[in-house]
Amino acid sequence: MNAVYRSYGPLLGTIILLGVAVWTLAMIVGPQLFMIEQSLWRMEQPDSAVTAGMRIEELNNALSLAQYDLGALEGTTDPDKMAEREKLARSVSAMEQELTTLQGQDTAPVKVYTISNYTEMSGYHAEIFVKTIGASLMVTLIAFAVCYPVAYAAAKLAKPERAALILLGLVIPYAINELLRVFAWLMILDYQGVANSVLLWFGLPEPVRFLDSGAGVFVAMVYAYVLFMVFPIYNTIETLDTNQIEAARDLGASTWKIHSRVVLPHAKPGIAVGSIMTFMLSAGSFSVPHIMTRGTAQPWFSQLIYSKFYDSFYWNQGAAYAFTLLLVCVAFIILMMKVFKVGIRDIAK
Amino acid sequence: MSSTAPSSSVSASRVVLSVYMALFFAYLFLPLILMVAAGFNSYSPPSVTQWQGFSLRWFSELAEDQRILQGIVNSVVVATGVILLSLPLGLSGALLLSRLDARSGSLLYGVLVSPVLTPGIILGISTLIFWRQVDVGGGLGLTVMAQSTFIAAYCMLMFMARLQRQDTSLEEAALDLGATHMQVFRRITLPFLRPAMLSAAVIAFLQSIENYNTTVFSIGASHTLVTEIGSRMRFGLTPVVNIIGLLFVTVTVAVAVAYVLLRQRERARTPAG
Repeated sequence: MNAVYRSYGPLLGTIILLGVAVWTLAMIVGPQLFMIEQSLWRMEQPDSAVTAGMRIEELNNALSLAQYDLGALEGTTDPDKMAEREKLARSVSAMEQELTTLQGQDTAPVKVYTISNYTEMSGYHAEIFVKTIGASLMVTLIAFAVCYPVAYAAAKLAKPERAALILLGLVIPYAINELLRVFAWLMILDYQGVANSVLLWFGLPEPVRFLDSGAGVFVAMVYAYVLFMVFPIYNTIETLDTNQIEAARDLGASTWKIHSRVVLPHAKPGIAVGSIMTFMLSAGSFSVPHIMTRGTAQPWFSQLIYSKFYDSFYWNQGAAYAFTLLLVCVAFIILMMKVFKVGIRDIAK
Repeated sequence: MSSTAPSSSVSASRVVLSVYMALFFAYLFLPLILMVAAGFNSYSPPSVTQWQGFSLRWFSELAEDQRILQGIVNSVVVATGVILLSLPLGLSGALLLSRLDARSGSLLYGVLVSPVLTPGIILGISTLIFWRQVDVGGGLGLTVMAQSTFIAAYCMLMFMARLQRQDTSLEEAALDLGATHMQVFRRITLPFLRPAMLSAAVIAFLQSIENYNTTVFSIGASHTLVTEIGSRMRFGLTPVVNIIGLLFVTVTVAVAVAYVLLRQRERARTPAG
């Protein structure tokens, strides 16, 4: 803290500290805490309100009955009936009094702290949650398998000018909007799409419904996030001294050995970063399932969260679902850091 | 093992790798080409298999599409807001971290970059819930807040990379010679950071325009270009969306090529070493 004031002076130092404080508290920590808080309560009818409501209904019925009887006794001169009428009138006014006090009571739903927003995830939603996480892990694995050769070729095998061209070829699709990239796959996998035209031309009897099975979401997701794996791996492989690869080869190492003993260990931080990004983007993706399920395939977990917020307006459970998703992502980050033995500084580069 | 065997096996694996790279790039670019091609088909919904003749009509439909045009305006408004908020925040984060010791620095660093590793929908949701406490609902302003949460972190990382190469003796000399802290900042630190500021602004702008997952939760009843495209994916899809795709591709290619050329020229100008 003192170092900050020493280097920047009182005015600038205060502005800097204030800026960071606003950013951390009002944009990162605060919103997360409020989201967690929101997930831990729900509005419930208090027990007293429920019993009061039942009593009010009971009184209303009794009251209308008594008032009817009272009306029937109107204008009677029989002393027996007069006494009865007196009694009835008293009980009516007593009931009316009780009714007004009951109705005066606060019966509004009250905020109740509970963990049931988490525990009440239904079987169907839990199944979607597990499928989403499983599919995201698969996407991550496939993205790694597809990208590693590309990253290695761009970093170590290509001549500088060619490598620049390869990088340009990678940057361009990476920079094009995610929605549009996914839309391109919608046109391919649609019932009347390109893939089906090609398959029919090859003699398939009838078109395949790629989108209904959820396969469309998976294919488009690999396509949308594959490049988030390439760049981190490329960056780490590029820093590997090529002499190490050549030395290993001269000493008789096979291609497999070179990669498993020299290149892959060096690329660990890049693999960790690429995996974290790909997994996080897949598990939290809203755009890809939004476009590719078209309401026919099973939804992605992010779509459940969205509908909790904007269809059923049940924010408390929506927040609980969102926090659950966040926990899985944090667990994945910690796992990757442990497996690849990298620190947080290596990750965000 | 004979001396020629390794080299021939190396060249064989090179061929395999070349074929693989060709396939990979076909995989990357073919879908985009198909998408652009459908923009010139007069048939709607967008398709390349039901070809009804070459047409430019979707360009003129795009030019008359009020919701899309309003979406572009809104996107630019949000992106400008994001730049104005993210650059100062990212800069103060970078300046602070450059003066903190490793221990407290690491913790703060972890907190500040955590939004980059958080799913976008969660940033949108938490911002939405946070601002509802003071009765601020979804809209363009809330979207600026939600997006800046992680875009400021990108800006900070770029400033930090630049600050690492700074020679602090210059600032110390100026202070010794009687300059105020403000003067040092304005005359030495800021000019040194100018290139980083420019690229941070460009990145912030692009990230903001692109963003969907965070924006869809914070935008409320308003819309940006991308959320409008997103809602058309479900209802009212016409090749107008493909024309937008074409424009995105064109702008991206132009910017990427210009960037490469600029860097080559810069390298040619600065002498080696």
